[in-house]
Amino acid sequence: MRAFAAMVHREFIEHRGAFLVGPLILVAVLFGATILAFTVGRVDARFSGAMFTVAPLRVYEVGFLAFGTGWSLYLISTLFFYSADGFAADKRNNAMLFWKSMPVSDFKVLLSKLAAAMTILPGVVYGVALLSGVLLFGVAFATTMINGTGSVGFLGQIAVIYGQVALAILAVVVCGLLWYMPFIALVGAIATVVGRWAIPIAALLPAIASTLEWVTLGGFHPFATHTWRFLENRLALPDTPYAEAWLTSAEPFNGWTFALDLIAGIDWVQVGIGAVFAVVVIWVASEYRRRVNDN
Amino acid sequence: MTELSPLSPDVAPIVSARGLRKKFGRKEILHGLDFDIPPGRIYGLIGHNGAGKTTTLNAMLGLTSCEGTIRVLGEDPFAKRAKLMENVAFISDVASLPRFLRVRELFALLSNIHPNFSQEKAREFLQGTDIKPEMKIKHLSKGMVAQLHLAVVMAIDAKLLVLDEPTLGLDITYRKRFYRRLLEDYMTEERTLLITTHQVDEIEFMLSDIMFIRDGDLILHMQMETVNDKFVQLVVNEPEHQTAAWAHNPVYEETRFGQTVMIFDGVDRAVLEPLGKLSTPTLSDLFVALMQRPTANPEAAR
Repeated sequence: MRAFAAMVHREFIEHRGAFLVGPLILVAVLFGATILAFTVGRVDARFSGAMFTVAPLRVYEVGFLAFGTGWSLYLISTLFFYSADGFAADKRNNAMLFWKSMPVSDFKVLLSKLAAAMTILPGVVYGVALLSGVLLFGVAFATTMINGTGSVGFLGQIAVIYGQVALAILAVVVCGLLWYMPFIALVGAIATVVGRWAIPIAALLPAIASTLEWVTLGGFHPFATHTWRFLENRLALPDTPYAEAWLTSAEPFNGWTFALDLIAGIDWVQVGIGAVFAVVVIWVASEYRRRVNDN
Repeated sequence: MTELSPLSPDVAPIVSARGLRKKFGRKEILHGLDFDIPPGRIYGLIGHNGAGKTTTLNAMLGLTSCEGTIRVLGEDPFAKRAKLMENVAFISDVASLPRFLRVRELFALLSNIHPNFSQEKAREFLQGTDIKPEMKIKHLSKGMVAQLHLAVVMAIDAKLLVLDEPTLGLDITYRKRFYRRLLEDYMTEERTLLITTHQVDEIEFMLSDIMFIRDGDLILHMQMETVNDKFVQLVVNEPEHQTAAWAHNPVYEETRFGQTVMIFDGVDRAVLEPLGKLSTPTLSDLFVALMQRPTANPEAAR
């Protein structure tokens, strides 16, 4: 277990640029730009503060949720590129034979990459997302104070909002990772064999599979097949009725209700099947890697 | 051509191969190798490019599957590679260290990954070098990477160390230092070392046994003492001596600066002594003598 944890840790070291340094730079640039905008008068602090008085707490909720959505999109795309690149990184880095000289099986090596994609790497991005929320709330609170409409008494309510939204983002990240795990594993397995070509192949594979079904079994067009419908369904996270209802209501956002709503909407049988599928494709890829020593 | 003193029945070989064959497509690379490597020896596996050295090593290290039987420390290496690597260390390419790590990160990771790796030993081996813990491996020179890799494998308490062209591309200073440290700081009676290199003269002094591999066949497997007894090099000046020497069937012959140099296999030195100057052939001379293919060197095929 110690060796496995170390292998997961090495994935973090190798890819910290995309999952830690990059997001931190992004936050620093955004924060710096915001401060600069206020400093040079591009944004009027009094006007902004006044804006917050229209719907004072909703602004915090919507702002942080929007940040959470942005970070989730960043995470999805970064994990896709990680899978397509990280699973072939030992070959690309000319270090395949070094890792094969370690007492760790190829299956464990690839499993550690999947484990990193499911835990430490998104965990770090989530941490940066929380930091960006703190900065967002800091700027918003400062403007209300400058404007004279804010008060220290709001801090308690703001902290509650922060906790509720952070919980909701965590639920989306965890459920999203479990839901998309088979896709992460599949792209990683393809990358083990073909390296970075996994990126176009992963994008083309659904289209090819659907087209093959259309050619062999018929249908209105290549994208009106069972395969395509299944993929459309399997690629989308379930709707959360609570979130839709909350947007049109005046109620404060409840992260716990949102999380339960999301969990209830997920097809857990599909998640289980996906997990088994992920382990199987990783095992197949490890058997390929076991036989190939390209360095 | 295998002449080895038989293993003591209570000494299990570190490596044992029987009928080891490997095909890539239709081309057979190894043609049924049979050999045992006892513990505590320093082996040189020597052959041309494409002779099958790396394939043989890969079979030992569990990096490729083969026909026939191969056992390393009693285990099937392809089936049990991960377990085997607890007691086997290897360098297959000097540039194969993960370049994204710092030296200290590498040591910290290995401390958790490899049960027989000692971070203290690795740091000791690096004392006196220019390699510092904070350095990134990608910023090290090729020689420094080789030093670091050697420090890593020497810090692993392994029973078998396999080095496949470990000094490729390094200058002579690094190469000498590399082999000296290996001998002085690593080798013990319990450890076995297997080296392949094209710079055979540089490792000759340290070898206890040699294996010559040619086109997938083991053509020589012998202890160095036996090599010295069995092979004789004769330098002949006189044409009549040359004719007399040919009668003893030299395995190799070439002309150097107007003199004829012949190598004999199993011919009594007393018989050859009157014909010219006798010496023991160097490993590289013997390599050239035994590796010549008739089509590549008609002179040797005489």
